[in-house]
Amino acid sequence: MILLPILLQDLPTNLMPELTEDITEEDTRVYEFCFLYPCTLSQKEESEFLKEIEKIIEETGAKQVSKDLWGKRGLAYRIKGHDEGNYVVYHYEMKPRAIIDIDTPLRITPNVLRHIVVKPPKGYEVTNFSEGFVQWLKDRENAVDEKKKEKEEKLAKRVAEKAKRQVKRVAAKKEEEVAADKPKTDKKQISDELDKLISDDDLDL
Amino acid sequence: MAKKPQRRSDPRGKQCPFCDKQVAYIDYKDYPAIKPFIDYFGNIMKRYYTGICLKHQKMLKNSTERARFMGMMAYRK
Repeated sequence: MILLPILLQDLPTNLMPELTEDITEEDTRVYEFCFLYPCTLSQKEESEFLKEIEKIIEETGAKQVSKDLWGKRGLAYRIKGHDEGNYVVYHYEMKPRAIIDIDTPLRITPNVLRHIVVKPPKGYEVTNFSEGFVQWLKDRENAVDEKKKEKEEKLAKRVAEKAKRQVKRVAAKKEEEVAADKPKTDKKQISDELDKLISDDDLDL
Repeated sequence: MAKKPQRRSDPRGKQCPFCDKQVAYIDYKDYPAIKPFIDYFGNIMKRYYTGICLKHQKMLKNSTERARFMGMMAYRK
């Protein structure tokens, strides 16, 4: 721990790569900033946090092109004890050299879980991906629900068919029994009648 | 008995799904676009299986790494 300050002093102050292109002082580019911050902040804290970030960026003379609040979103893995976080995406028009001055203060500011600075390619159009993501999630859920429903319907059909078949089988069995019983009774009746007839004394054969 | 060779679809016949839509840039924020090319364990799938061209595979790698860093995508499941 004692060695640390010495080591930090030895390191170059500008960790970002130096720009080698010939850029005049007046050249500006559009840069994209994305921040991840915890969703446990209260509304007041959140607005203060956003103001702080904007202040840091705008101190270098950057112009805001767009601001996009994504809202609460689940994280793919735990970051500093948070399972959910909020995203903000900014687009700023600024001088390329100013990025070097912005990166370190952003790393130090509290409540910034992750931040990224990206240079969008030529012809990039600002699009809101959060809405698309929500829609995609809904579609996915719907697809899962539909699959479940289909499965349940299939099961219900199978059960109904089985019940029908059983009913049919039972009915067929009963009929068989009835059919088997009937001739027996008939035979008995016939034999009884025959006996009666034979035992009759009035018969003249 | 000689083993029968396994049948696979010819990888040369596959078309790059990004080239079909003429994609110029794969955004790291566009999760639904990247998701189909990530396998169950969170790895980027091989070009052999997806049929993506080299140009778009490099873009995809870039965007997935950014998405992983921002917590939108898992490094490993």
